[in-house]
Amino acid sequence: MLNKIFLALMTLTLMTSATYAATLQDVENSFYPYKNSVPHAEGIKVGMVINADNWQVAKDVLDPVMLEFVKNGDYEINVAATTSFDLHPNYVDATKARLGKVMLGAEVGTINGSDAGRPFPAEPSQDDPRAGEKLAWNFKYGYNWGDSAAIKPFYWQYRNMKTGKIERNLTFNFHFLNFTHRVVNDPKPEILPNPSDLFRGTYLQVLAPFDVKNTQLLIHRYEDDQKRDNVYLYLGFQRRVRRLSSGQVTDAFLGSDLMIEDFEGYNGRIADMKWKYLGTRELLMPFYNHNDMPLEEKKDEDGYQFVKMVGKGGCFPAITWQLRKVYEVEAVPVDPGHPLSKRVHYFDAQTFTIPRTNMYDRKGDLWKSWTIAQAHPDFHLPQNKGTGVSIDDSFSMIDVQAQHCTTGKFKGIVDPALSPASKFTVQNMRASGR
Amino acid sequence: MWNVTMSFKKLYPVMAVAFICVLLGASVPAMAEDVVLDGFVENATYLRDGRGISKFRNTAQLEFLIPVKSSGFWSQVNLNGILRATYDGVYDLNDDEFGKDANESYLGQNWHPRGDATTGHPVLGGKPFLSAGVPFPCDNDPTLCKNLDGYMDLDENDAKFPEFNDRLDFIRELYIDATADLANGDQLSIRLGKQQVIWGRSDLFRVLDVINPVDYSRHNIYDELEDIRIPQWILQAESRMGPTGIFDDFNTSLVWNFDKFRPNVLGQSGQPYAILDAGNFFASYLNIDAHPALGNGGVPGFYTAPVPIIHDVDIPSWSLRNTQIGLKWEGVYRDTTFSLNGLYYRQQLPSLHFRELVVAPGSGLPASDGVFDIVFPRVKLIGGSIDYFNQATDAIWRLETTFTTGEELPRDKDGHKETDILRYVLGIDKNQVIPFLNKRRAFLISGQLFGQHVLDHENDMPDYKDNWIATFLFKGWWDSDQISPQILVARDLRSDGMAIAPSVEWLVSDNLKITFGGNIVSGGKKKFDWSVNDALTGVPGSLPSDYEPLARFKNGPIGVANQEDELQLTVRYSF
Repeated sequence: MLNKIFLALMTLTLMTSATYAATLQDVENSFYPYKNSVPHAEGIKVGMVINADNWQVAKDVLDPVMLEFVKNGDYEINVAATTSFDLHPNYVDATKARLGKVMLGAEVGTINGSDAGRPFPAEPSQDDPRAGEKLAWNFKYGYNWGDSAAIKPFYWQYRNMKTGKIERNLTFNFHFLNFTHRVVNDPKPEILPNPSDLFRGTYLQVLAPFDVKNTQLLIHRYEDDQKRDNVYLYLGFQRRVRRLSSGQVTDAFLGSDLMIEDFEGYNGRIADMKWKYLGTRELLMPFYNHNDMPLEEKKDEDGYQFVKMVGKGGCFPAITWQLRKVYEVEAVPVDPGHPLSKRVHYFDAQTFTIPRTNMYDRKGDLWKSWTIAQAHPDFHLPQNKGTGVSIDDSFSMIDVQAQHCTTGKFKGIVDPALSPASKFTVQNMRASGR
Repeated sequence: MWNVTMSFKKLYPVMAVAFICVLLGASVPAMAEDVVLDGFVENATYLRDGRGISKFRNTAQLEFLIPVKSSGFWSQVNLNGILRATYDGVYDLNDDEFGKDANESYLGQNWHPRGDATTGHPVLGGKPFLSAGVPFPCDNDPTLCKNLDGYMDLDENDAKFPEFNDRLDFIRELYIDATADLANGDQLSIRLGKQQVIWGRSDLFRVLDVINPVDYSRHNIYDELEDIRIPQWILQAESRMGPTGIFDDFNTSLVWNFDKFRPNVLGQSGQPYAILDAGNFFASYLNIDAHPALGNGGVPGFYTAPVPIIHDVDIPSWSLRNTQIGLKWEGVYRDTTFSLNGLYYRQQLPSLHFRELVVAPGSGLPASDGVFDIVFPRVKLIGGSIDYFNQATDAIWRLETTFTTGEELPRDKDGHKETDILRYVLGIDKNQVIPFLNKRRAFLISGQLFGQHVLDHENDMPDYKDNWIATFLFKGWWDSDQISPQILVARDLRSDGMAIAPSVEWLVSDNLKITFGGNIVSGGKKKFDWSVNDALTGVPGSLPSDYEPLARFKNGPIGVANQEDELQLTVRYSF
């Protein structure tokens, strides 16, 4: 009997994959959606400002939570022209080379044949029961931060949204490294040896303020999505590395409005969520050219200026938004003890970053609204030009219930020299600790 | 010459504070942009039940990291340093209770009622067997000062400014880091200088974390170990192999502590924190001279004066063979991080070696110029640690264990005995949201059970063959972690000692932190028979067991501090 069920599942999987098999045209459409035309919406014009006086024009082009912020006068949306954020051609080529070879496994969180590139470039279908999961895989194996990158420095501010008071200022360095799925920097496609089959490492170090200085976090994510991340924390005052339980991954990180699981839009396993594709939409999304924005006056040592924060409580980035093709996906935690009942993600269809997410508490009430604004690499730091990485450039996590937010300003640098594999070891945490 | 030396000694604090101020102020703009410089000033004021102010500690700490340009074999070269200057005003503000004039009525007054050894006895003409400890012997008693030379020989001024001494403790850490990338992809890393080396995974008490001695006089066991470890001049050389055949990370580390040996600082008579009250005992006398037969005018009349408890402290001089060395293998294997450790070091707690009266061998009578010598024997340690994330409990489990040979424990009738000791700690850390208390932030729930098994235990050892200390921490965070209350409980299971330490941290701003807390301590009720009581009265078994001098070991650091209930306020401004 078990054999029959297994056979039926396999058949269903193969049928599913076969039904939605991608073509080279799908790849073109996936990576270059604005090649022939850009989205248009009635009443939405480049250069216009959408605010509390005219919010109605954006009813169909803003997600409901951002629309509410605009309606309430908390934030104004500056509309800019849609631009293409072309990802690195090697990533596109890797996708083409694996066309038809990537399939979902029988269980959520299993995949076969994906070692580089976008796993599922075909347009998602409402008829495909696993379409949401495929989109999640496209995000997980996306070209987010490329093969490796660093955010150095990375400023977080905790803000009272009602009063605008900045309560805390934290300074970090973040580093990312793909151990597998590498398409640009040698070694490709994998860094060896890799005994536990790590997929990705995320390492961060707190530089200030003094009470959390020298805190370090290391996340090891495995190629096997069924395997839980190993997360290590180094506390400066204890001078030793501690393991983190999964409870801490969904806890407020260093008192901010973010969980570790929120990093980059979603920083967890595919298997931890039930994914549901809700539809394809054309929405205003936070994509812009950093160098064209009204930046902070203060300059970094190399002249770099950070994105300015505006709006209610200083909780929103002062950037432009553009109409873009978006996949709306619902993610419901498998764990009934998870603090969220669901996230609603808005995946950018071209880059497969997650610029907008709305999060709901266990009761189903809106809890947080999460924006990770994307900058074009060619209009950013000179060394980012031509990297084909959509640069996470500013963020805002708003706790709408507590009227509190955490904002972030990035200096993202796509430079493999900043994130060597030796940085992503437990021993490095001890050695870097003071 | 003496006066000149003293003047310079008194100038140390001023010079150090001036040095820190110069670094903080004038020099900062001149430093390179990559130099990291920060620190804090802090006042810690503690109020002890029945005693008044027990701490008025003012600290200035400066931390710096200076990248050093390098080329060739070494890269990532940094110079790191921490300077700390402290002035504890308790000796000026509460000199009736603490300081060179803070005499006690009897030995152990600060933790137990009078017992047989501390009550005037007719046999001794109304004197107690043991006198009260002499506060700050080097201010009050040249004999004791000489006997305790090199260990418990602070004068009051030294205690006020604890970093300013001939070991230059105001240079809390000063080391250079360097890394070399080897041709095979491994890295060789060295850290050379005055530093802390942390082994192990436990909080509050130490099992593997024994490379640096600790200063318990700062605040007993309750301060962060980072603040009370005594940095040592150490060379660490580390081979980082990174991922290997089966390990995700594997490293071998050699630790060579080439500093002159330093024992744990226990706090001495006259100081507010003297763990196990050992400092008072070491600064007391045996009033055997008042014995009708053994003392003045008696027959045989061996003793013409009270006998100091301590005759001498044998601090090993610096020599290559007196240095300490350790080796650690450490790695990550699947969901487990582990270490295997070996250390050849010295016992950091004093071992008391009985000195028999030469003219009366076998009598059990002490030498007339001092009962004990303090020694610090060589110890061999092997150990290991593991931590593991268990999905079923959604918690981190920690295990740490050591096995030592060469340690010595005190005995009643035989002075001391060398014994093998097994120590271990099992810990669990869990983060749990408790919605009715705080639905936005999980609480940290951490439990530890420390165990000690004395393999060669004897009945006359004032310690347990097996004993356990349990600790429990419950910590929460509110308001973006700006407010963090916690409660820490430690219980010594065999001695019934218990400490409850609630506190609240308030981050007023990025720079200003206020911590308000307290300690409620109980225990210290265990007694232990002292055979000298019987010997001196000449009536075996005529006197019941007593607190002094051996029950301090039986009651442990928690129980002996049973009269140290405190309110504590700490204000720290960071920059």
